[in-house]
Amino acid sequence: MIEKTPDLIMETRDLTIRFGGHVAVDHVNLLVEPFVLKSIIGPNGAGKTTLFNLMTGQYKPSEGRVLLKGNDITHLSAVQRTRLGMGRSFQLTNIFPVLTVLENVRVAIQSRKSIGLNFWRNYLHFPGLEEEAYSILEDVLLDKKWASPASSLTHGEQRKLEIAILLALEPEILFLDEPTAGMSQEEVPAILEILQRIKDAKDRTMLLVEHKMDMIMTLSDTIAVLQDGKLIAEGDPEEIRKNKAVQEAYLGGGARRG
Amino acid sequence: MAGPTPVQIFHEEEKKRQYRSGTFFLKVGLLLLFLLVPVLFPAFKTIDLAMQIVLFAVLVASFDILLGYTGILSFGHGMFFGIGAYCVAFLIGKYGMPSYTNLALGFLIAAIVSAALALLISFLTLRVKTIFFAMITLAIAELAIILATKLTGFTGGEDGISLNTPGIFAVSFNMGDFMGLEITGRVFTYYFILFSCIALFLIMLRFTRSPLGRVLQAIRDNVQRAEALGYNTFLYQSISITFGCIMAALIGGLYAMWVGYVNPESSLGVLTIMLDVLLMVIIGGMGTLYGGIIGAAFLKITQTFLPDLQHLAMDLFPHAQLLHNVLERWLLLFGILFILVVIFFPKGVIGSVNEYLLQRKMAKPTISPSSFTPTPPGNRP
Ligand SMILES: Nc1ncnc2c1ncn2[C@@H]1O[C@H](COP(=O)(O)OP(=O)(O)OP(=O)(O)O)[C@@H](O)[C@H]1O
Ligand SMILES: [Mg+2]
Repeated sequence: MIEKTPDLIMETRDLTIRFGGHVAVDHVNLLVEPFVLKSIIGPNGAGKTTLFNLMTGQYKPSEGRVLLKGNDITHLSAVQRTRLGMGRSFQLTNIFPVLTVLENVRVAIQSRKSIGLNFWRNYLHFPGLEEEAYSILEDVLLDKKWASPASSLTHGEQRKLEIAILLALEPEILFLDEPTAGMSQEEVPAILEILQRIKDAKDRTMLLVEHKMDMIMTLSDTIAVLQDGKLIAEGDPEEIRKNKAVQEAYLGGGARRG
Repeated sequence: MAGPTPVQIFHEEEKKRQYRSGTFFLKVGLLLLFLLVPVLFPAFKTIDLAMQIVLFAVLVASFDILLGYTGILSFGHGMFFGIGAYCVAFLIGKYGMPSYTNLALGFLIAAIVSAALALLISFLTLRVKTIFFAMITLAIAELAIILATKLTGFTGGEDGISLNTPGIFAVSFNMGDFMGLEITGRVFTYYFILFSCIALFLIMLRFTRSPLGRVLQAIRDNVQRAEALGYNTFLYQSISITFGCIMAALIGGLYAMWVGYVNPESSLGVLTIMLDVLLMVIIGGMGTLYGGIIGAAFLKITQTFLPDLQHLAMDLFPHAQLLHNVLERWLLLFGILFILVVIFFPKGVIGSVNEYLLQRKMAKPTISPSSFTPTPPGNRP
């Protein structure tokens, strides 16, 4: 039996994965309260992406468990977890390049509403789907481009589209893996604004992996620090800034900073 | 409430344009042409040509559901076509009397057998890799030809099966003259097949424009992303393949009704049917459905008339030896024609024309960049 911890939306218990001899995530106990923005930081190769993969079901852990609202979901597939309200963005841009921007989002809404198996009605006869997709595009400041093929977008716009696809699934928890990776300096503030907006709506929990420190410090409610697969510190931005272990990890680890 | 979004405005304009556009008139014209063929050109050769174009256009469209909309290459499409042809031939030829019930039963069995086989192949191959699907279907298609040839008792072997169509479709049926056109069983069969093919084509159009069709295009575009959205891609691909194969089998049944005869070579042939279908889809363009009409028309017309053209040229210039040498190899001529089409229409005729229209629309200064047409599915690289 698992004793439930109330008031937590997600929790990992001794979560561990080994690749051969290498322990990429090492007995991590992460507690996530609902409706907060929690950042996960750490030097390159610390295991942040791998931790996300374990939580969202891309990888199966060697040890430990993943809990969603107190329920053990360790053995559920990524698709099943998506259906339970966990949405994941990827470090490498992952969109439908040939489809239009609007269609990228519309297909995601269609998945959430479970009408994908309908083959006898015209897809345009589902009222509201395209309007909903369009309004999400407005939220991520991409509405002007709705008719373009997704492959014609700039890199920064493609990351916005990814967030839009994610929002279309209306996940309770958003997993954002470096949403500003590879972006030009001018494109970053827009993403920051989008994330701030989602946060201000206060209806979702967000987990964010980022290297840009100023962004982390302004956005986060709490921060968890990973190093060599271990959770070495947790706290609000002020506490993390002052934390000795974190300073050492960053000064010694030679991480990129934003 | 704010006013209509640009998306809604776009669809409104699209609706207004719908019955005024050139493509709409083209479709109506094409439909009229095929409706009038028995009246205008009652010679058997032309009616047969028109029927072959119709049947193959729809067959190519069903192949396009797999290749263009799902991204799955099948060498078994000719086999599913042949299964349908044989099922109908069994029911109203070898094992049954020509009656309407048996005819309908033949089509039903064709659909069931092809669906079962398509599902089986999907389950065996798709989980591994989609390229497996191409290899396995090629093997099974060859096996089907061997079986049809060797199981003489069951299938009639090399000799094939002759079938008699029932009632108003019978060759002997004749209602006499009507406004200059002799109303025979042939004419009824022509219209029955024409309307059936139009119905199948409309069903396929609806299929590709349904929510399921849109998911298929998403899967084709990026499998991992579609999976991450929560779509069971294996299920979707299996449904699409099964659907396309059932269509092929039904068209095969119609084909058997028209030619009144099936044998392993002409109905199941990997080289005869499959190669034609592949050439047609390349000429017409993938992911457009309409491309099949162009592809089928091009191939069937050249196959029918190039030999005639050759004889005509030889009669006109009886002394030009070089010309004779070239013309004797009419297949070579056909090859050259094919290469020219591929060079000038790299995305197939429909695909390339769509792209050209899109570019012209985008270039128009009156339309702001935010309101140009979303890429039609036909413009896939
Ligand atoms: N599938 C895998 N097989 C083997 N090793 C892996 C695999 N996935 C990750 N690793 C290893 O696990 C470690 C952690 O990788 P991870 O991608 O989680 O780091 P990260 O914190 O996301 O780094 P970055 O900031 O560069 O994105 C690395 O040493 C990596 O090589
Ligand atoms: Mg990473």
